[in-house]
Amino acid sequence: MITGRNVTKTFRQRGGVLSGREVTALRGVDFAIGRGGAASFIGESGCGKTTLGRIIAGLEEHDTGEIVIDGVPMSSLRPRQRQPYFRRIQLIHQDPYSALNPTRTVHQTLDAPLTLRARQTRRPRSWVDERAEELLTLVGLDPGYVLPRYPHQLSGGMRQRVVIARALTVDPEMLVADEAVSMIDVSLRLGILALLKDLRERLGVSVLFITHDVATARYIGEDGELYVIYRGQVVERGPVETVISAPVHPYTQSLLSAIPVLHGLERPGEQPVLPTEALDESRPDAGCLFARRCPFRTGRCEAERPVLGHGGDTPQWHACHHPERRSVVAVPIGRR
Amino acid sequence: MTAPTIAAGGARATLRRNFWRGVWRVLRRKPSRMLGVAIMILFTLMGVLGPMLYPERLPRDDNALYGPPSWAHPFGTDFEGTDVLALVITGSRYVLLTGLVTAVITVALGTGIGLFAGFRRGRWDSVLMRITDMKLTIPGLPLLLVLSTVWKFSSPLAMGLVLGLLGWGGVARAVRAQTLSLRERGFIEAARGLGLSTPHIIGRELLPGMAPFIAMNMLIAVTGAVYAQVGLFFLGVLPFEANNWGVMLNLAVFGGGALTTTAALPYLLAPLLAILLLTLGIVLVVDAMDEIFNPRLREE
Amino acid sequence: MVMTSVKAPATSGRRAPGVRVSGLSVVYRTPAGELPAVSGVDLELVPGSITGVVGESGSGKSTLALSLLNAVQPPGRISAGSVEIDGLGDVVRLRGEELRKARGRHIGYVFQAAQNSLNPLKTVGKQLLDLGRSHDVADLRALVRDARDLLGRMGMDGARVLDSHQHELSGGMRQRVGIMLALVLNAHLVVLDEPTTALDMITQANILRIVREVHEERGLTTLVITHDLGVVAEIADRLAVMYGGRVVEQGPTRQVLGAPRHPYTQGLLRAIPRLVGDIDEARALPGRPPTLGTIPATGCVFRERCPLRAEICATAEPRAISLGESIVACHVAEAGAGPEGRTRQAAEARKAREEHT
Repeated sequence: MITGRNVTKTFRQRGGVLSGREVTALRGVDFAIGRGGAASFIGESGCGKTTLGRIIAGLEEHDTGEIVIDGVPMSSLRPRQRQPYFRRIQLIHQDPYSALNPTRTVHQTLDAPLTLRARQTRRPRSWVDERAEELLTLVGLDPGYVLPRYPHQLSGGMRQRVVIARALTVDPEMLVADEAVSMIDVSLRLGILALLKDLRERLGVSVLFITHDVATARYIGEDGELYVIYRGQVVERGPVETVISAPVHPYTQSLLSAIPVLHGLERPGEQPVLPTEALDESRPDAGCLFARRCPFRTGRCEAERPVLGHGGDTPQWHACHHPERRSVVAVPIGRR
Repeated sequence: MTAPTIAAGGARATLRRNFWRGVWRVLRRKPSRMLGVAIMILFTLMGVLGPMLYPERLPRDDNALYGPPSWAHPFGTDFEGTDVLALVITGSRYVLLTGLVTAVITVALGTGIGLFAGFRRGRWDSVLMRITDMKLTIPGLPLLLVLSTVWKFSSPLAMGLVLGLLGWGGVARAVRAQTLSLRERGFIEAARGLGLSTPHIIGRELLPGMAPFIAMNMLIAVTGAVYAQVGLFFLGVLPFEANNWGVMLNLAVFGGGALTTTAALPYLLAPLLAILLLTLGIVLVVDAMDEIFNPRLREE
Repeated sequence: MVMTSVKAPATSGRRAPGVRVSGLSVVYRTPAGELPAVSGVDLELVPGSITGVVGESGSGKSTLALSLLNAVQPPGRISAGSVEIDGLGDVVRLRGEELRKARGRHIGYVFQAAQNSLNPLKTVGKQLLDLGRSHDVADLRALVRDARDLLGRMGMDGARVLDSHQHELSGGMRQRVGIMLALVLNAHLVVLDEPTTALDMITQANILRIVREVHEERGLTTLVITHDLGVVAEIADRLAVMYGGRVVEQGPTRQVLGAPRHPYTQGLLRAIPRLVGDIDEARALPGRPPTLGTIPATGCVFRERCPLRAEICATAEPRAISLGESIVACHVAEAGAGPEGRTRQAAEARKAREEHT
């Protein structure tokens, strides 16, 4: 339902000491997410995954490239005409504490968009309250308990469910969940993830999951596509299971190697990949963006920037001159 | 399904009821707040009903000029033998009405301009803020002095209008700053993503978050206006067309020599006391604003 | 490289201290009366080990960590129990100047979000000197040298970092600066509160490796407080799981993770999605963690979310019992640990150990 081609974005710092400095957030990214599909963007903070998510949700404008929603290129429309398209894509914020207005009850929070929706779809006013209860039940909350309450009276998990219910008020076709569980208690996270998964199955909503935690990305979209983003560039892209079990890009491999091992339950992967140095974006790179940190770099890597392709006959896309499978993921020990 | 639906339909009324119940709870938390409210009610009654208690022309008593405090005249009498308490009470309407008008204009203009500039950003923001800055650089008192030569300010509304037009700059700046920080919050972004209208976003999402700040500024603007106008009358810049606290101070000091003799001292102290008491009441209530408008602090 | 100049534990004349927390309770004064944030916690930090404390929000883990420095702020106070630290005595009894000296010299504390706890207006070096002066360090030159060595040990250019302001350092670098400041006064007991929150996976892995290495080289006793089981699983020797102000299970990390006894530990482990295996094996824990006001006053704190709840759980608080190498506070685990239960568990534990080696 949404595709992007060669999307770029550069931020210019305004004011302060850094005035005039440019930060490249996206360097020509392609993506495609189908109706009811799932996709995950993973990468370190500052890699551009959040910016891309916000561009997809229509909250940020891209510089060059094209975004096509339901076959309509957004560049052919004026900003005002784009609104109805981007309304089909709703963003779930990372922080359920700032995503809800502290001065408004849950009832008020849902009432406003539902009233608007009722007007658009010529439904009676009574539909609004019915729908609010329906949506809250759908996200696993008790409407009687939640409706009259203010956000501060709810736990983080409940708040995030309210945020999801609010996004559903406009009948979106896609949810963009940006680190949607990172601020929620560990024992409640899976509940939220399961809800997103369930919404995908029951309502046919596509889910775009943005995270640095590959395991949660896998949980939501086992059948989906994984995009590994590094410094504004997709460096590996393919089916979730393929990228996790047989990653070929050294950056993906170092990301997977960094996931803590549950000693006692798991054994670490046999060929962990450690970056040779820390991320330093102050120096320009002529070749591969990861070359300076890559333990496997060659002269070619430093001179020539690889493009996303199937070089070396890999099932997934990758941007590496020397793709090679390595077993980096921890494996469970026997049975629990 | 019907029962809870009805409950949700009546939610607005319940919400309002809960709000006032919360306000009551917040005020009761500290005795000082109750005192502040009591003082403010006292002054409101004084301003509304006070002048009705007395005849149009207050009685004089030529035998008791600058009389000392007594049961009949708790604050003594003035140069004409008129009861000082009666003067304070009848003079309160002008002062308080001016204060109210000033506060409403200050806050309405300041909030409106600040919100618009902060929400729109860009060109509107620069233009409005330049105007605000310019306005902030105009010294208020000299301007008032100039204005008073051409305008008589016999009506408290005119007085309030002028003071209000002079006072909104600071509020506008502060509201703009708050708007700029609030608009980056997730819930504002979500509201825009859902396609909610700009009036809704500004009025329902942004404004309530700033309510404590606005209410606080409104109350403080009242005291500011009282000081300003009393000052003007005290200096004798404005002609005395009606009785008010500033006129009393002026007459006590320059007519009665209250600074050199003790005879007119009660005449001087009575309006001063009234101003102090009003300020005290307002300061005590301002303390509760944060808790009243923040649902979290209100419910606790 | 600079490894040689890092002080070996022997040269300091002090060794990694042991810590015994017994019967520790901390209460917070609220309008609803005094509510317990930590209740009757027994915990031993073995000298030279890394102990991890895992818990969700409201579990009391941060309050427990602050108690180790006797630094619980009002409206909270330590209402009962003791914290015995080798070479220092009962910290709960220390007051004023004594306590201030103990912090820093004996106990190094790396605060939650240490990334943001540096003074933005001063260079790291200035803050280091402030720290030295407030602890009456005679030889400030040596202090700076030690700091530079420590930073170098953690893979940074020490001289450059000391000349930097907070904003010139990345999150991972600030975290390392926090660790340096905790260690530079030669403390041998170190408390790290959420050391990797808000850091990326790769940076997190890096920091954890550094913590482990520095811990071993300097001969420390380390306590890591976190909400992330992965973090402690990666570096801790021993693990304590907290819930509702209690330690519900503790023991060697491999034991606790490999053969969890408490239903909360079991549920938590099951609620974490993994990279391999059937994703449908992951199960959410029902309900939500208690807050200060909702911790049950009687019975087991976990019973409302517990799949194994029995009648006794509502009335009696489970006592901590030893099961193999673990200590567990659960009625069901206790009942299951009859004579035959014990042998079964021992066999399982043995099996688990064999599998790792």
